Amino acid sequence: MKLLAYAVALTALMVHPLSGQRPISVTGVRSLVFGAVLPGVPAVVPRTSAANAGQFDLTGPHDTQAALTFTLPVVMTGPAGATLPLLFGGSDAGYSQSQSVASQIGFDPKQPFVITFNQNGRGSVFLGGTAQPIPTQRAGNYTATITLTMVSLP
Amino acid sequence: MYNVSKACLAGFALLLIGVGSARGQGVNGSITATATVQTPITVTGTQNMSFGNVFPGVAKAILYSDASNAGKFSVAGQASTPVTYSFTLPANLTSAGNNLPIGSWLGYENATNSTSGGSGITPSATPTTSTLSGSGALFFFLGATVTPPANQPAGSYTGTVTLTVSY
Repeated sequence: MKLLAYAVALTALMVHPLSGQRPISVTGVRSLVFGAVLPGVPAVVPRTSAANAGQFDLTGPHDTQAALTFTLPVVMTGPAGATLPLLFGGSDAGYSQSQSVASQIGFDPKQPFVITFNQNGRGSVFLGGTAQPIPTQRAGNYTATITLTMVSLP
Repeated sequence: MYNVSKACLAGFALLLIGVGSARGQGVNGSITATATVQTPITVTGTQNMSFGNVFPGVAKAILYSDASNAGKFSVAGQASTPVTYSFTLPANLTSAGNNLPIGSWLGYENATNSTSGGSGITPSATPTTSTLSGSGALFFFLGATVTPPANQPAGSYTGTVTLTVSY
């Protein structure tokens, strides 16, 4: 019984260094909003758009690194299964240690990207993109899901 | 001894779980992308331009205000939205390889199906801007002149006029 207590104590000691630091988390904060789109007219949302760019808030242990990977849709889906092409350029994603849309480091959302958390253990990722409706695009509301996965690095 | 081993194993397992959760763990979050697509544009040729009988050596004009013979297009799209339009116009009507020159194009655009209250236009291939009405409509009326030479072969001559409209 005493040895079991030792084992539990040892385990607690090993885990303890992480206590008090932020756990890693990804929270979808704001949708990527293209708003009203005209058939045949591409609609661009820059990642610096405070109103329309998508936003994820991140937390993690301070001064540690994590790898970000997007799961990006190629279309949005609308009425009766109609699809609206969605494009992401090589600098359509941005990371901000200060969580400010005005202060970002751009990166390619189609490639994994490594971030370093600051002393606060927080950060934000912003995402822009381009919707490309064809001239005969069916009218209606279109949506798609964008997922950001974060893996902490040793 | 058996109890000691079990305790050690349990502790080691807990240790592994603790370390595993601290290294290489993945989390994810999602957002949505949204867009609202407005009404697509449709262009309909609603009346052919008809010159009727034409005599060699005698030019004949059709005015855009000619309710029966002027060419007419109707456009539908997103209400109160700017558009760009252009025409593809033939230089000749044709019949069995013979040409009948056509030119002096004149037109009229209006938010209503009428040749009053709108604006006169000169149809051409140059993109021109306009705006769909509050109900998303726009109408174009076309007139032109054919100039058959004195030796114009008899026959039924036709040509195609195309109106292209985009946002």
